[in-house]
Amino acid sequence: MPSATSVRARNESAWLLPNDGTRTNHRLRQDMRRFDDTDEIDLVIVGCGAGGSVLAQRLARQGWRVAALDAGPFWDPDADWVSDEAGSHHLYWTEPRVIAGDDPVPMGSNNSGRGVGGSMVHYAGYTPRFHPSDFSTYTDDGVGADWPLGYEDLKPYYQAIEQELPVAGEHWPWGDPHGYPQRPHPVGGNGEIFLRGADKLGITAKVGPVAIVNGRFGNRPHCIYRGFCLQGCKVNAKASPLITHIPDALSHGAEIRANAMVTEVVIDQRTGRALGVKYRRDGREHFQRARMVAVAGYSIETPRLLLNSASRRFPDGLCNEFDLVGRYLMVQGAPQTAGRFDAEVRMYKAPPPEVSSEAFYETDPARDYKRGFAIQTVSPLPITWAEHVAAQGHWGRTLREYMSDYVHWSTLGSLCEFLAQPENRVTLADEKDAHGLPVAQFAYSQCDNDRAQMKQARTVMEDILHAAGADEVITINRYAHLVGGARMAAGPRQGVVDRNCRSFAVPNLYITDGSVLPTQGSANPALTIMAVAARAADHLTGRV
Amino acid sequence: MTGPATGRFPGFDVLDQVGHWDQVTADLITARTRPRQAPEFFTEAEQSAAAALLNQLTGQCDEPLEISLAEMVDARLAAGETDGWRYADMPEDGQAWRDTLGYLDKDAHAQCGSSFAEASRPDQEKLIQAVQDGGADGQWHGLPAARVWSLWTRYACTALYAHPHAWSEIGFPGPAYPRGYKNAGVDRREPFEVADTRPAEDPVQEDA
Repeated sequence: MPSATSVRARNESAWLLPNDGTRTNHRLRQDMRRFDDTDEIDLVIVGCGAGGSVLAQRLARQGWRVAALDAGPFWDPDADWVSDEAGSHHLYWTEPRVIAGDDPVPMGSNNSGRGVGGSMVHYAGYTPRFHPSDFSTYTDDGVGADWPLGYEDLKPYYQAIEQELPVAGEHWPWGDPHGYPQRPHPVGGNGEIFLRGADKLGITAKVGPVAIVNGRFGNRPHCIYRGFCLQGCKVNAKASPLITHIPDALSHGAEIRANAMVTEVVIDQRTGRALGVKYRRDGREHFQRARMVAVAGYSIETPRLLLNSASRRFPDGLCNEFDLVGRYLMVQGAPQTAGRFDAEVRMYKAPPPEVSSEAFYETDPARDYKRGFAIQTVSPLPITWAEHVAAQGHWGRTLREYMSDYVHWSTLGSLCEFLAQPENRVTLADEKDAHGLPVAQFAYSQCDNDRAQMKQARTVMEDILHAAGADEVITINRYAHLVGGARMAAGPRQGVVDRNCRSFAVPNLYITDGSVLPTQGSANPALTIMAVAARAADHLTGRV
Repeated sequence: MTGPATGRFPGFDVLDQVGHWDQVTADLITARTRPRQAPEFFTEAEQSAAAALLNQLTGQCDEPLEISLAEMVDARLAAGETDGWRYADMPEDGQAWRDTLGYLDKDAHAQCGSSFAEASRPDQEKLIQAVQDGGADGQWHGLPAARVWSLWTRYACTALYAHPHAWSEIGFPGPAYPRGYKNAGVDRREPFEVADTRPAEDPVQEDA
């Protein structure tokens, strides 16, 4: 394994954070380079989440003049974040959106981040790799799509990012077996129950992989197991680009322009090349000129921005000549099953992400569905747990009585690989946002394969909890994550961008976020989004 | 059903630990225990209906926790702190609250001859149950009943379990920064956590 020193040589972020118990290097932000709108910079990036931040850091290191714009704030964990569920509402993208289809997918806290760091500010922290099979599901199983690149193309980027976050976990036996830079964390009650139940049934389950430091890393302290990972890590222990890539980007001359909502990618109508982006900031419209544009607004806002960037040359929306923008948007089916124990589990102690199993990830010829699912600990806090209980139909006094039983419950979640379908997509609604721009409408409907996976995932979770000694189990069906909506493909009739994330329609326009993923596996997507962005950066600097 | 929800964790009061919380979090949580401003979003009639509905949904008629949920929901809606998304066949959250509280009053007048807030508790329960049951076509005053139910319970649960009194009732210690936890694991407790006095009482099991 490479040492922390070698990571530091290529990404100094963790060493640029303060080591005095505070969490933000204010000096680094005050001294940040600032470009003028009229400067033609090398690259303007739209969105400072998993994809945009990695791209900014990589290219700033190569001497590019980069500005990354984000619609939300430049967070300071000390002042802006709390150890509280309801008080974390501002971490989520809560601008208006319309959800439709047979199985509408709730947004907000479920899957949509806001501000510098993006959704990784409030993700649990799981960072599994995709399996090699994820890149050829169409050839292998006749479902989903083949990627225009393979696992081996991404592997070095997986390894690099795992070191930079860094990731803690046991040796990983699934997919392409691999180890992690940091040792697995000790587990709390929920992880203990999962390991116990899985062991009884002969199902392999492993501790990790989580991007939460186990031991000091640079100036980032050890995790304190407080359980509020989904509310933004006040400790700086859980990785998000805010602390893993933005500090290094700043120290290499990148500008992070927060509270800047990009409203349009502007195209030269004569040449068809991107000229820069229009954005709103401080109640005014601005235009940032750039030699190159990278959109990294994630699976809802990226398609929305492209559709809202229609012009004479692109009347149906940018990059949408073949009606592919917004399509093949995926969510994972995420049924959540809880088991009741007479012992006290107190699942709120320790990070919600502790233990996972990918034993059911691959297509099983004995089953009537293709592809599969992963199982992970989830450990909801009281408000989220109340939704689980209320979903059983309880209200009034009964709701309170069931809730008073909170300390006795253990909760597992599945990630089911729902398949990419063309009609699961973002379009523009009639409704407008505060800037007068049409909001996104997201339609989602499950297919038979999706439903069959979810049913089996629930059965396995119930079996594990029963085997661990649960006397009762309850389940809710929910969704997790977003990917797709501007997928990469071999050619412009199959996708929006090529294997290097360059759009087919506009030669100096890139998309570097989760929306380019053609399939999703049963893996939490953050690590893969970062790896794809890191690879795109190497392409831009002529390394691949 | 088992006994009352309260009393499983005797002597456990989350607010005893406030000195161990970071200041930003402590200020936010303690503010929730103080009286609120007059309603800003709801009209007087809506406020009365909302208070009655939310108290019913969270069992506060039987066992009050002295949590003013209607004020908490009002503050959220006044600040525009919605979840953002809405179903294509529902109005946005603020309007959905206004509309549905109005329909509750309308039903109460038609069936009980009073406003919803002034109806008897059993009558209120019946009117609420009708929405959860959804009727033959799943519609209630032209809205999908299941989504109305989801809106109400989502806001009710978010408000109730944002409150330290509710945390004390369920044995959850609330904020944990910068202290964290040292004793995670099955049947392990921190010095400030209190054991459940009725661990074998499983409401689900007894209800099944």
